Amino acid sequence: MSQLSREQIRTMMGEVLANQGKELPADDSASLDAIGFRSLDFSELALSVEDELGTELNFDAPGLRSITTVSDVLDFIEQLQSA
Amino acid sequence: MIQGSNRIVSRGFTGTWEELGTYDLPPAAAVFVRDHAEGVRAAWTHATSERETLVASVSRADDDLVTDMVGNGLAIAHTEGSSVQVVPATAARAPHPGRLWLLTSGSTGRPKRVAHTLTSLTTVKGDQPARTWLCPYTPGAYAWWQVVTLALAHPGNDIVFVEPDQLEDWPQLALETGVTAASGTPTFWRQAILRSGDTMAQLPLVQITLGGEPVDQGILDRLHEIYPQARISWIYASSEAGASIAVHDGRAGFPEAWLERQTGDRPRLSVVDDELVIESPYRAEGMDRDLHTGDRIEVRDGRVLIVGRLASDEINVGGSKASASAVRGALLDHPAVAWAAVRGRKAPLVGHMVTAEVVLEPGATATTEELAAWCAERLPEYAVPRRLKILAQIPIKESLKSDV
Repeated sequence: MSQLSREQIRTMMGEVLANQGKELPADDSASLDAIGFRSLDFSELALSVEDELGTELNFDAPGLRSITTVSDVLDFIEQLQSA
Repeated sequence: MIQGSNRIVSRGFTGTWEELGTYDLPPAAAVFVRDHAEGVRAAWTHATSERETLVASVSRADDDLVTDMVGNGLAIAHTEGSSVQVVPATAARAPHPGRLWLLTSGSTGRPKRVAHTLTSLTTVKGDQPARTWLCPYTPGAYAWWQVVTLALAHPGNDIVFVEPDQLEDWPQLALETGVTAASGTPTFWRQAILRSGDTMAQLPLVQITLGGEPVDQGILDRLHEIYPQARISWIYASSEAGASIAVHDGRAGFPEAWLERQTGDRPRLSVVDDELVIESPYRAEGMDRDLHTGDRIEVRDGRVLIVGRLASDEINVGGSKASASAVRGALLDHPAVAWAAVRGRKAPLVGHMVTAEVVLEPGATATTEELAAWCAERLPEYAVPRRLKILAQIPIKESLKSDV
């Protein structure tokens, strides 16, 4: 299975936010609360990644964790692809 | 009385019922047919002799189903034109003369056999005007039998059959064969209007019937625009419940006053926990008196609307309940949208998300962003489709449905 790079995922995250009239800051340590990236946005990003890869991802694979920053989101999606 | 002089027009046969000929079948047989010509020949064989019959498209003859049938005393017959190959039943039993088996769609599990007779399937009663009906339904389906029994029972009611590979061009076929009445799903009608609007406008239709899927006001209005003189009816029917609701006033849903009404031999309609429940004299043998249909209803402005399947209508988005039919309604209200399908899709954190596919009106240029914004103005945030795809054409299955 081909994988998306961290930068590609970041671009897609920016698009999800833009659809909601919000902006992705340059700093990956930015808090999701602060930028208004919520559960629905996270889920939309995951589905966008699925569509881009043309395969279903196992969302349970990376296990429970705290996702509070932009970097956490990118880590999660990266790990999801290699699960 | 059987109207043997009514005409059949199909790819494999054109002529009257009486000219069809019959199959040499065991007294209890499941007949798997390749096309409508073979289907009506099997129907005529049943109508003119004392026997027990199931008619279905050969695409439905899977191994499990066939094993179940032969074990239950039904021989299996595969038709090829006017000849037939028979596999005898493995269990011997006396046939039930007159019984007609129908297969349920199997959309909610394994297909079931439900028992009818020609009489229970003949739900259009009284004098009927002479018409040439278009029948696009799969051989052996309840809706197919509805049209077939109409042409068996009423003088001057002929049928033009549409094979699956003719679905894209049926308006031209209908024009050439003098069709004046047609029955189909809302998806079937939408697809035809989009693809063949010019030919559709030339059809001299006096009766238009819709069924098989939720019927929305948009498609009724569109058909009325094209055929202002035609009677436009929507029918609620299934192989289990029989034909139970017929509405001819050009409006979606049926009047609220019909609920809990007991009138002669008409079906009694009620609502239990948002589900349509029907007690119908036309139901299949052995069905519960009160049939829980699995269809979700909403009462709005004095009309009872059948909005979708209970099992698939509710999409749980992070604990909030989005209604697929409400989202679909919002999309269809957009002037650029000709057709829409809405589904839940598995997603992390929220469990499911609302997704949608749409087909635009010819020449329309709406973008997915515009459609999402339109929905956001009309729906709660969790119900706004986050993945929205614009398709080039309406997807349609053999059942003529889109599973919306």
